[in-house]
Amino acid sequence: MNTTSGARLDRATSAALVAAVLMPVALGLIFFYVPNDVDQGFSQRIFYFHVPIAMTTYALFAWGALNAARYLWTGDMGLDLRSYVPMHLGVIFGTLTLVTGSIWAKVSWGTWWYWGSTELNTFLIIFLFYCAYFMLRFSVEPGERRARYSAVYALLGVGLIPISVLAVHLGQDVIHPVTFTDRGANMDGTMLFTFLMALAAMLSLAVAMYLVELRGKRLDEQVTRLRRLAEGTR
Amino acid sequence: MIRETYVHYVAAVYALAWLVTLAYVVILNSKLGRLERELDEIAGLLEAKADG
Repeated sequence: MNTTSGARLDRATSAALVAAVLMPVALGLIFFYVPNDVDQGFSQRIFYFHVPIAMTTYALFAWGALNAARYLWTGDMGLDLRSYVPMHLGVIFGTLTLVTGSIWAKVSWGTWWYWGSTELNTFLIIFLFYCAYFMLRFSVEPGERRARYSAVYALLGVGLIPISVLAVHLGQDVIHPVTFTDRGANMDGTMLFTFLMALAAMLSLAVAMYLVELRGKRLDEQVTRLRRLAEGTR
Repeated sequence: MIRETYVHYVAAVYALAWLVTLAYVVILNSKLGRLERELDEIAGLLEAKADG
């Protein structure tokens, strides 16, 4: 957001600063504060990045879908961009979730992927669903039609998120660890604190990336409009 | 006792996250560079028109 004076930080800079503070703190906690897990030992430290990245992916897809719903309600084209950017970032974070999850699986289970896990498979389905979002979006000419199709598609996918989150509870999944149960977090206080710090760091990083990318896209649109006007005056 | 292979795996996860973030910044920077060049072109077009 533009400010009238240079003294006030814009939202993107503020989010980036929060991420810049929280990320080293989270890394410090992960490697120097939290104890080794009794079962998995040192490798359990992957959890403190993998799970916040996965949660951030869900948050980005949900934010994109919410803005898609708002676009369908209001018809404001600015909301189309606010829906597209989180989807783009969600796919980036989703890729990271899958890769970091695979590395963790290799350490814990001795295999890169376990097809018997409901949670893993539903996450993969959501990820592939939102990868296809871009194929749909870029196969339609820019304009209201593209925005409408993209918004409807984004909304269809968001229904998969609660299914993915509940998958491990709904299915008889015995291999994927259950971190949060009905009785609260399945970890001690130091682990929960470290996890929450890592989650806050990852979310603030995603917010900063979202605001910077959104600004870039808006700038891109303005440059395109300016070029049309400049060429039209020749 | 920490098994060395586990350290490699953990390091791979954290390095990957940083590499992706860095790649994202590099891509954004290249996009900003493209926008800068386009603005220069537009400015050139407008200046040429102003000069007649």
